[in-house]
Amino acid sequence: MYPLSALSPGRRARVLQVAPGRRRLLALGLRPGATVEVLLQAPLGDPLEVRAGETFLLLRKEEAQAVMVEALDEA
Amino acid sequence: MSCPRCAPQASLVLKAEERWALVGNPNTGKSSLINALAGAGLEVGNWSGTTLERLSAHLSLGEARVELVDLPGTYSLLPTSPEEALVLTELLQNPPDRILNVVDAGNLERNLVLTLELMELGLPMALVVNLLDEAEAKGLRVDLEALAQALGLPVAGAVAARGEVEGVLEAALGAGTPHPPVRYPAPLEAALAALEPSFPSRGLALLALLGEGVPLPEPLLAAAQEEREKLLLKGHDPYLLALEGRYQKAKEVYEKAVQRQGTPSSLTERLDRLVLHPLLGLPLFLLTLFLAFRFTFALSSPWVDLIGRVQEVLAGWVAASPLPPMLRSFLAEGVVAGVGTVLAFTPVLFLLYLALAFLETSGFLARMAFVADRVMRWAGLPGKAFIPLVLGFGCNVPAVYATRALSHPLDRLRVALAIPFLACGARLPVFTLFAFVFFPKNAPFVVLGLYLLGLLVGLVTALLLGRFLRAGQGEGAMELPPYRFPPLKLLLRLSLARTGSFVRGAGGPILVAVLLIWVLLHLPLGSTSPYALLAQGITPLFEPLGVRDWRLVGALIPGFVAKEVVVGALGVSFLGGEGVAPVGLLEGLRTLLGALFQALWGTLENLLSLFAPASFSLAPEPTPLQAALKGAVAPMGALAYLVFVLLYTPCVATLAALRQVVGARWASFAVAYQLLLAYALAFLAGHLPLRP
Repeated sequence: MYPLSALSPGRRARVLQVAPGRRRLLALGLRPGATVEVLLQAPLGDPLEVRAGETFLLLRKEEAQAVMVEALDEA
Repeated sequence: MSCPRCAPQASLVLKAEERWALVGNPNTGKSSLINALAGAGLEVGNWSGTTLERLSAHLSLGEARVELVDLPGTYSLLPTSPEEALVLTELLQNPPDRILNVVDAGNLERNLVLTLELMELGLPMALVVNLLDEAEAKGLRVDLEALAQALGLPVAGAVAARGEVEGVLEAALGAGTPHPPVRYPAPLEAALAALEPSFPSRGLALLALLGEGVPLPEPLLAAAQEEREKLLLKGHDPYLLALEGRYQKAKEVYEKAVQRQGTPSSLTERLDRLVLHPLLGLPLFLLTLFLAFRFTFALSSPWVDLIGRVQEVLAGWVAASPLPPMLRSFLAEGVVAGVGTVLAFTPVLFLLYLALAFLETSGFLARMAFVADRVMRWAGLPGKAFIPLVLGFGCNVPAVYATRALSHPLDRLRVALAIPFLACGARLPVFTLFAFVFFPKNAPFVVLGLYLLGLLVGLVTALLLGRFLRAGQGEGAMELPPYRFPPLKLLLRLSLARTGSFVRGAGGPILVAVLLIWVLLHLPLGSTSPYALLAQGITPLFEPLGVRDWRLVGALIPGFVAKEVVVGALGVSFLGGEGVAPVGLLEGLRTLLGALFQALWGTLENLLSLFAPASFSLAPEPTPLQAALKGAVAPMGALAYLVFVLLYTPCVATLAALRQVVGARWASFAVAYQLLLAYALAFLAGHLPLRP
């Protein structure tokens, strides 16, 4: 289990938990069980473009750190 | 494509007047659906107590009149932003007769979570599955019949942007009060069971249990609070339990109703690789912005000219009329000039809104936030704040209105107060005039420096205000919408509505200010005008800046109306006013026709040259005004003057916009703050150790 911010672009992962108080991340689709993929990383690693299900999201590093994931094997 | 049969207790009888609320995630096409259903007739209104735009339209169904209300997009009834909280408040305090829940067919699982929440409110409801075409492109097939079965709701499919909305009305008319669909995990169900009998709906009981502010009698809220504490004591977070139940159900319904077929073609993913590219991204955006501004100014300038000609002719007609001279002057230079000032903004605004609406609805503008996120974070702002700031370089007025897209009021306030520092198009004529007179060799650097100074002061203002008001680190997370090609009709409608909103909101104050300045300039007070007296009175204040000529100081007063007026006022006071030449009726008509033809031709010409490289024309011949200015002030004083013009007080139109968006108190604060800051920085600029 590690934070979404540590996921390298192109890798897929499953969301395990989201830090309490992060309602917006949950509402945007970063919910436990959802499959996520980091699509792009701006220079210096921040912000990230993340795909959660059918949703494309812009996340700051600090927000990506609030989402714990487990890596999925390359499909 | 609908299934009215599936609804329990369908309320097929329509009341004489009904309100239907469109609720859904952001970007699901609620507004397009309203447009497709009601045709023309969108009106922009203000929401009670807020500054958010609320669109509503009317629809006649036989004898009945239906008001379609477009609520802001929301991901959940459990609010994650003040804007979303408003949706819940509106639904509870002003319950609509029917809810049309609009969902994105291509992102159904997430959208269904809101559907499930809405179904618990106990209001008649129908589901509109929009954007079926996009879902198809993604390789998703939505079985509407199965969806209707699984949810127990009437369901209609739609591609609202293309006007394919058959079945939506039928589904809406078949809306009945749905059965609450979600079974929550046992501890939450137990708590709900204790509350539900005394609450008006399961949804309200759940909201109260989750600690949301719901308008219910105190004993009910106390009972909910008690259950809530019991759950928490046992180590259950009711919020997480509620989410768990909903995700589960949403997934279940999704799997029944949606099939994947073929490989999805993700245009969005591929375009993003290019648009958000670490190296190419930024230049690409600057180019897009440049084109947007060019489009705006190239196509609007012929029409601004036309308005100027119409103004001249009307003033000329007034001057030729047999009215008393004072009244003639008031009508020609006060009323006509005032209305003209307001109208001269409209072509620029309309086109800027059009370009903006395209960037906005196509999905490009959201990507800009990605590119600019770092700078915005430095100022403690969300990435999205970049959008109104960029617009500020064109014209501050639409930029201030664009802050409404920011969900947090504090972000809105900080960006709105930063915007007036950005050098809008109106300030450029003043900059170029002075820069070429006083700094002929370094003129482009002086102008560029002023632009950067404005941006820096704006960002620092936002930063300091954030510190002072203890704003949190701006919310960064946002959805990047899929790329779409927006229909022209939608763009035109959006920009017309927004331009109209400006004319209604800012027209009055501008007119009043212009009339006031006419009074200052024309009412004789002894041997000289109040304008000259006032200017001479405040000139000593500007001496520390190196500006000692009252005519320069005086021009700042009308500059308050619109900054480009500074140049005109300098012309009048240095070279003497020309007054209004009388114009005959026929001569005037001929001028008008010619001007109209010129505007049409100019538009065509500029449209063709839109993609040609920009040319910078430097005026080599000093105009009489330039020559006169040279003797009036030293170069360092001129620099101080320019910094002052850049930063002092927003123009009346911006001020009117600020008042609408952040309220009169903050608008007054902006005036005072900017005057002080402009003075201080102009003083510093005037004492820079430079040798021009």
